[in-house]
Amino acid sequence: MFGTFLKALLIILYATFVGFMFMGIIRKVTARIHRRIGPPIYQPIIDTIKFLSKKENITHGIIYDFGIIFALGATILALMFIPLGSISIMRAYGDLILITFLLEIPMLGIMFAAMSSGNPYAGIGAQRALLTLLAIQVPLGFAIVALAEFYGTFSTYEIVMAQQTSGWSIFHLPLLLAAIAYDIVLQAMFGKEPFDIMIAPGEISLGPMVEFGGKHMGILQIQHAMGLFAETLFFSNIFLGGAVITTFSSPILNTLATLAVLLVKQLAVLLIAIFVSTIFPRFTIDQAAKFYWKWPTIIAALGAILASL
Amino acid sequence: MVDWRLFEPLFNWARKKSLWIVSFCTGCGGIEMPPLMTSRYDIERFGIIPDPSPRQYDLFLITGYVTPKTLKRIIITYEMAPDPKWVLAHGSCPLNGGIYWDSYNAIKHLDKYIPVDVFIAGCMPRPEAVLDGIHKLMEMIENGEADGWKRYKENYEWYRKNQEELLGEGWREKEARKWIPWLMDKKKEVKE
Repeated sequence: MFGTFLKALLIILYATFVGFMFMGIIRKVTARIHRRIGPPIYQPIIDTIKFLSKKENITHGIIYDFGIIFALGATILALMFIPLGSISIMRAYGDLILITFLLEIPMLGIMFAAMSSGNPYAGIGAQRALLTLLAIQVPLGFAIVALAEFYGTFSTYEIVMAQQTSGWSIFHLPLLLAAIAYDIVLQAMFGKEPFDIMIAPGEISLGPMVEFGGKHMGILQIQHAMGLFAETLFFSNIFLGGAVITTFSSPILNTLATLAVLLVKQLAVLLIAIFVSTIFPRFTIDQAAKFYWKWPTIIAALGAILASL
Repeated sequence: MVDWRLFEPLFNWARKKSLWIVSFCTGCGGIEMPPLMTSRYDIERFGIIPDPSPRQYDLFLITGYVTPKTLKRIIITYEMAPDPKWVLAHGSCPLNGGIYWDSYNAIKHLDKYIPVDVFIAGCMPRPEAVLDGIHKLMEMIENGEADGWKRYKENYEWYRKNQEELLGEGWREKEARKWIPWLMDKKKEVKE
C-alpha cells in the first residue's frame, strides 16, 4: 500500500519535472529555429514559481476553482494508467480507449473553468476547443481501432509486450498509417501551431486561458507539463515500441535504462511536433474541422481496413 | 502554516527571471517592441515573453504618449492584474508629455495616474536602452525597491482623485454604457 503510494508520487514528480523540461525544450528549439538564443531550458519552472507566488488571486466561483483541479486530477489519473516501462501502477487496466479518453478530460476541465469566468474571449475559445476535440475524435478512433485490430487486444501493456517480439508498430504498414494520423492529431492535443485554434494567441487574446491569473495559471502550467509527458509517453508506448529492458542484471539499472530509452522516444515525438509547429501558420476552425475529417480520417481508416484484412 | 517570508528571496528571483509583458502598445513605441522580441535583441533570453492577457502579466510597458481615451484602458488593464506587477514607461511622452507638451489631448505626467517603476528617456529609445531599463527593473525587484503595486494600494485615494479629475467622475460606467444608445438606435450620435 505504502509502496504503491510512493511509486505514484515518484511517477508524478518525474512526469512533472520531465514535462517542464519538455516545455523548456519547446521554447528553446523554437528560438533556435528563429535564430534566437531563447530562454534557459528551466524557464517554465521559474514561470510556475512566479505564478504560484502571486500575492493576489482572482476567482469567479467554485466551478472556476474546481475546473483547474479537475484538469490536473484527470492528467494524473491518465498518467497512472500509462505503462512507464516496467513501473506502472494500474497498467493491467491501462486500456487504449480509457487512456485516450482520460487524455482529453483535462481540456474539459479547463473548459468548465473558462466558461464559468464569463469572459467572452474564454467562451469563444471554449467553443473552438470543443469543436477541435470533436474533430480529432474521428481519426483518433480509427487509429485506436487499427491498433486493437492488429494486436487483438485493448491493453496498452500487452501491446508494448507484443512489440518486444514483433518489432515496433510503425514498421507494419497498417499501423504506420494509423501512426501518421495519430501524429497529426497530437498537434491538436499539444495545442501546437497548425491546430492551436483553441488558444490562438493574438487572435482571440488567449482563448480559454485568458482569465486565469496567479495560482490558477500556475496549476495549469503543471497540468500542461504533465499532459505533454503523458501524451508523448502514450504515443511512444503504442507506436514506438515502448521500452521494457531486461539486459542488465540489476533491476535499478534496468529501470534507469528503460526511462532513458523512453525519454529518447518521447523527445523524438516532441521534436516532430515542434518542427511542424514552427513552420506552419494557424488554421481557422472550419478549415481544421474539414482537415481532420478528411485526410487523417482517410489515412487512419485505410490503416484500420488493412489491419483487419 | 508555512512561513512564506522564508521563501521570499526565491520568489523575488523567480519574479525577476520571468517578467511577462502584456501586449499593450500605445503610441509609436509599439513599433519598438518587435525588434526587442525578435532575433537581434532577443529579450526571451531573460525569460520575458509577450502575453495577450491582462491577468497574467507582471510588466506593463507604456510605449509612448497616452491620451485620456487610452488612459482609461491602461488603468483598467493595470487594475486587472494580480499583485506583484510593475510599470515601465518608455519614451519621453509618459515622462513629461514630450513633444506633446501643449497638446490638449495627451496626458503630461503618467506618474500621476498609475505608479511607474522605471522611466526610460528618449524618442524613441533604442532597444538597448529598453534592455537597460529592464535590467534596472530586475535589480530593483531583487532588492525589493520596485514597489509600484504597493504604492498604488497605499496611495489609492490620491491616484483615484487624479484619475477622476482628468476623466470625470464615474468614467468606468460611462465608458461601459457609451455604445448602448448607438446599438439601440444607430441614427443617434455617440456622445462622449
